[in-house]
Amino acid sequence: MRALKVERSLARFGAARVASGWRPGAGGKVGPLRLAEMDLPDLPGPDWVRLRPRLSGICGSDLATVDGRSSQWFEPIVTFPFVPGHEIVADTEDGRRVVVEPVLGCVVRGIDPPCPACAAGHAHRCERLTGGHLSPGLQTGFCAEVGGGWSAALVAHPAQLHDVPDDWSDEAAVLVEPTACGVHGALAGPPGDDQVAVVIGAGTLGLTVIAALSRLRPDITRIIAVAKHPVQKEMATALGATTIAAPGELRRAVRRATGSWILDSGQLTGGAPLVIDCVGSADSLADALAVAAPGATIVMVGMPGGVHVDLTPLWQREIRLAGAYAYGPEPLAGGRHSFAVATDLVADAGLERLLTITYPLDRHAEAIAHAATAGRRGAVKVAFDLRSEKRR
Amino acid sequence: MPRPGFVLEVDRSTPPILTWHGEGFRLERLPAERSRVIYAPEPVAALDDPDQAVQDALLHPLGDSPPLPDLLRPGMRLTIAFDDISLPLPPMQKPDNRQRVIEAVLEMAAAAGVDDVVLICALALHRRMTEAELRHAVGDRVYDSFAPHGLLLQHDAEDPDGLVHLGQTDKGEDVEINKRAAESDLIVYVNINLVAMDGGHKSVATGLASYRSLRHHHNVKTMRHSRSFMDQEHSELHSSNWRMGRLIAAAGVKVFQIETTLNNDTFPKQMAFLQKREWEWSGRDRATYLATSKSLSRTPPKLARSIFQSIKAPHAMTGVYAGEVEAVHAATTAAVYEQQLVSVEGQTDVAIFGLPHVCPYNVNSIMNPILVMCMGLGYLFNLYRGKPIVRQGGVAILSHPTPWAFHPVHHPSYIDFFEEVLSETTDPIEIEKTYEERFATDEWYRHLYRTSHAYHGVHPFYMWYWGAHALEHLGDVIIVGGDPAAVRRLGFSPATTLTDALEMASDTVGRHPTISHFHCPPIMLADVS
Amino acid sequence: MAGVPRLPGGAPPEKRLPVSMERVRTGTAPALRAARRLLKPPPSPFPYTSPTWPDSVPREPAERDLGVDYDTDWARRYPARVARLLLTEVVATPAMAALADPQVAGLDRIAHLDGPVVFAANHASHIDTPLLLSVLPEPWRHRTVVAGAADYFFDTKLKAAAFALSINAIPIERLRVSRTSANRAAGLLQDGWSLLIFPEGGRSPDGWGQPHKAGPAWMAVRTGRPIVPIHIEGTRNILPRHSGRIRPGTTHISFGRPIRPVEGDDPREVAARLEAAISALADEHTTDWWTARKRAAAGTSPELTGPGGAGAWRRTWALGERGRRSRRPAGGRWPKL
Repeated sequence: MRALKVERSLARFGAARVASGWRPGAGGKVGPLRLAEMDLPDLPGPDWVRLRPRLSGICGSDLATVDGRSSQWFEPIVTFPFVPGHEIVADTEDGRRVVVEPVLGCVVRGIDPPCPACAAGHAHRCERLTGGHLSPGLQTGFCAEVGGGWSAALVAHPAQLHDVPDDWSDEAAVLVEPTACGVHGALAGPPGDDQVAVVIGAGTLGLTVIAALSRLRPDITRIIAVAKHPVQKEMATALGATTIAAPGELRRAVRRATGSWILDSGQLTGGAPLVIDCVGSADSLADALAVAAPGATIVMVGMPGGVHVDLTPLWQREIRLAGAYAYGPEPLAGGRHSFAVATDLVADAGLERLLTITYPLDRHAEAIAHAATAGRRGAVKVAFDLRSEKRR
Repeated sequence: MPRPGFVLEVDRSTPPILTWHGEGFRLERLPAERSRVIYAPEPVAALDDPDQAVQDALLHPLGDSPPLPDLLRPGMRLTIAFDDISLPLPPMQKPDNRQRVIEAVLEMAAAAGVDDVVLICALALHRRMTEAELRHAVGDRVYDSFAPHGLLLQHDAEDPDGLVHLGQTDKGEDVEINKRAAESDLIVYVNINLVAMDGGHKSVATGLASYRSLRHHHNVKTMRHSRSFMDQEHSELHSSNWRMGRLIAAAGVKVFQIETTLNNDTFPKQMAFLQKREWEWSGRDRATYLATSKSLSRTPPKLARSIFQSIKAPHAMTGVYAGEVEAVHAATTAAVYEQQLVSVEGQTDVAIFGLPHVCPYNVNSIMNPILVMCMGLGYLFNLYRGKPIVRQGGVAILSHPTPWAFHPVHHPSYIDFFEEVLSETTDPIEIEKTYEERFATDEWYRHLYRTSHAYHGVHPFYMWYWGAHALEHLGDVIIVGGDPAAVRRLGFSPATTLTDALEMASDTVGRHPTISHFHCPPIMLADVS
Repeated sequence: MAGVPRLPGGAPPEKRLPVSMERVRTGTAPALRAARRLLKPPPSPFPYTSPTWPDSVPREPAERDLGVDYDTDWARRYPARVARLLLTEVVATPAMAALADPQVAGLDRIAHLDGPVVFAANHASHIDTPLLLSVLPEPWRHRTVVAGAADYFFDTKLKAAAFALSINAIPIERLRVSRTSANRAAGLLQDGWSLLIFPEGGRSPDGWGQPHKAGPAWMAVRTGRPIVPIHIEGTRNILPRHSGRIRPGTTHISFGRPIRPVEGDDPREVAARLEAAISALADEHTTDWWTARKRAAAGTSPELTGPGGAGAWRRTWALGERGRRSRRPAGGRWPKL
């Protein structure tokens, strides 16, 4: 079978890093990603099943990997060579259409008794990502043995599978996983009354967060979204953002909405009680700190990596900085799992429209480049179409 | 003998015409046989002895007012209010008219033994003046006498304890003005009447008023019915102010009005070519033009701005009138008309306005895009009596670099107006309805207006309303040489050159339109028949 | 070199510009004579020197070409003017800026004046004159003559020539009533020269002003030219009377609103107005303009002449800081142990 494979090659990671600094997404050409002929993956355990992906999305974390910009942190919790792709809608061999919850926690790894986090249902916080009968890997798509979505086939544990309603298109289904991330981020902030929320970034993640905030958080009445490109502004408004601000205009927009003051340095005296950073850069975090009210929560949904930022406001204004990774039970949604909530949300908010374009595996370099410059090129989500891939 | 204004019919032998372009100017050739250029009258003669003239005016007032010394007595409360930084334009060389008049008034107050004297800068919702600006306006002697004792105040339209509500006019307009002024035994208001709009009852009723009071005439409806607001007879803005002024008088507030007029000598000797007719330029004028325009094109905008903002006009006092408000203002208006009126026959399809570096709201500051709109469509467009120089449905072509730049201290609410309001709509009615109140009551703007040097939060709205009449009248507005993004945000069309702009204008007004070029500054008032 | 025939004891003929060619020649004479005297060889006995005058023979009145009769026309011709311009701009102005740090106020009050005027200032020090000349604005800067005491500045030919050349001084009689010099000054005013004069008639002996003389007012009334009152503060601290030591300091020069006498004004009344104006300027310098105007209007400006009839120490005491020239001696530190 054919698959896109990431190999451990220092030279290629280096080349990708250099090239992508010049042109984002250039790592697809010169980087560690290769289209290769591979054997079908073996089933690691008795209950495991084989999947045949239909669509598999390109996520920001995938782009970081391909462009050689991932944090060293991931080094011990991935296994090379791996096939990326964790936003997957696939067919099982017995004819079910499923989306994959890619986290590889204790249950999937056959660890019994599971770690306390997994026992509590928070598989994404699993403490045994390197244990069990699988090699290290935090998710499907980062682990050599289980394969990934950017291929003709992969293996999965039944606990990872969520059925897709029959009347759904594949295009809608492939957005369930990213939407679940957005839901998890949107529901991570503490509840309040008549709150202003700021969403920085209007890529797939930002837009799903906006959709989740506007539909799942009645306590949030105003959503200020930072969007750069016309398609993002349009989508953000359509999904429920009340104010769209260009990146340089955020602080003033928040000031207007919250009636606070702004100081010469650009920091606000008050601000928004909830800021969701869907970018994860030094600039976005600095913006978030500048517009977060005293006592506010900043949720980092976007994968940050190493950033340099002045944390004085965090200390002086008792701001809580919270990460939101993956999915789990959502207390604010009555304890339902992010995936279940996301499934409803995709249908409700019509998130299918976020998928702009699909590419076959052959054109992976183009696909990566397109995904890396999605906003500028009028796109949101870019995915691989594997429905015509042959599996041998 | 200064020559009156002049309308030049452009023919093939007409030289290119000087067109202002912010901190710079260009020479533009206009299409022959269908263009005309409107030139201002030359500066009228200055008073020989302005100090003596001020004395005479105070001793022989107009209307039913007694001479100023008769109004002054020991133990009285005297408030002297004066115009703010927005007048005159550009700021005049020292000594300023305000200084001359205020010193003369104070001399008389001193002679009468008046001790309780307060000076108030009647800035309405404008920014507070800096110390240097106040010193320039009232002179060092007055500043050093009053400022250290806290007796030189700047009107604060947001001070809950500093305002008094005097009642409502018969049209239901609230009249709320500065408390110290209203409770004084006498207000002496010192005006500089640069244009026909200034002075009269507008001095106290606007200069010393609060937002609550101002909103009754600073709104879209009033501005659309002020045609133009330079012509008191046909200006709803003035009718409203006159109603308020009469109510103020009826409430027992005594005003001794002093109005001064200036000639339109706008530029220092070295830059005289800026107010000369092009065919009369001497070799020296041409050399200066070439040298300045060549060097300006190589000057960074920031530096160019500070050079232009340092220009002090050699304006000279041409008249001073004192006494009862309406009698004084009639005399002043006649004097202003004498300096500024130019007879113009009929309207044209297109009007070209070259925008200079300064408008009333960016002295020592930046002419931001909203002020560009206000300067072009608010001020220059409205410098007419009778009919606008451009026909209904015609096109106004403005020339200004229109940078996407704002003075962060002076114009904080302008930035938000530009970023938030104009990105949603440019319709004055919609803007007034949806956004005005929120900006007017924003705590932060209020704080900056009261303590820093910021225009009031609602001020950008007024700028937009100022142009409401023109927006309604015109078919299209084109800005030559502006930042395209900023021009589009204003709702106008950007053009690179005047030729392109005229080409674009023909989409609205047809091929071979007639064109007026309004050669301002110096300031003039087109009397269009 | 032929002298002008003069009537013994009589007043010289009235002098006006432009002058006749004959005067041009005689006008240079004093300067040449002064220069010659400088170059004169050491005294040698008669007949190489002039003869001594026998005491028994009554002396005829000497030709009066010094003092009030000194002829300064030569100093207003171009060579002298050019020399003085250089002297003012290259030497005096920088020197005054360095020594006296002049802070000038009130020039706006005279900005609209043109034509010759009478500048009248209080007088405390020899540097008043160069200081004022260094801060006078155009158009008066190089068209001003200075009234100098005939008995002080014009008593020898060398001094007379030096002052006429350097500061454009003209002799003014201050010790007795004489219209000669006043007439000449008035003539110069009418010819377009402004006049800088100290109405007190001399430098202050103790830091307080002296009563004004009416001369300047008389000249202004006669010519109809305005008087510009000037108040100078701080020159006494730099170089007081009876001192040869200059200590650099700061000076404040305030120009007042011009006083415009009209035909028929009483010179004494104009002089009183001038004195009041300078007092008010002084008041304005120490307080502020408004306070000064109020006191001027009420006639309560502090008088520049100080407490009258008081003991010397009280006059000095009342001067306060203004009279304190001596600085605390250097080295007044704690002894090193």
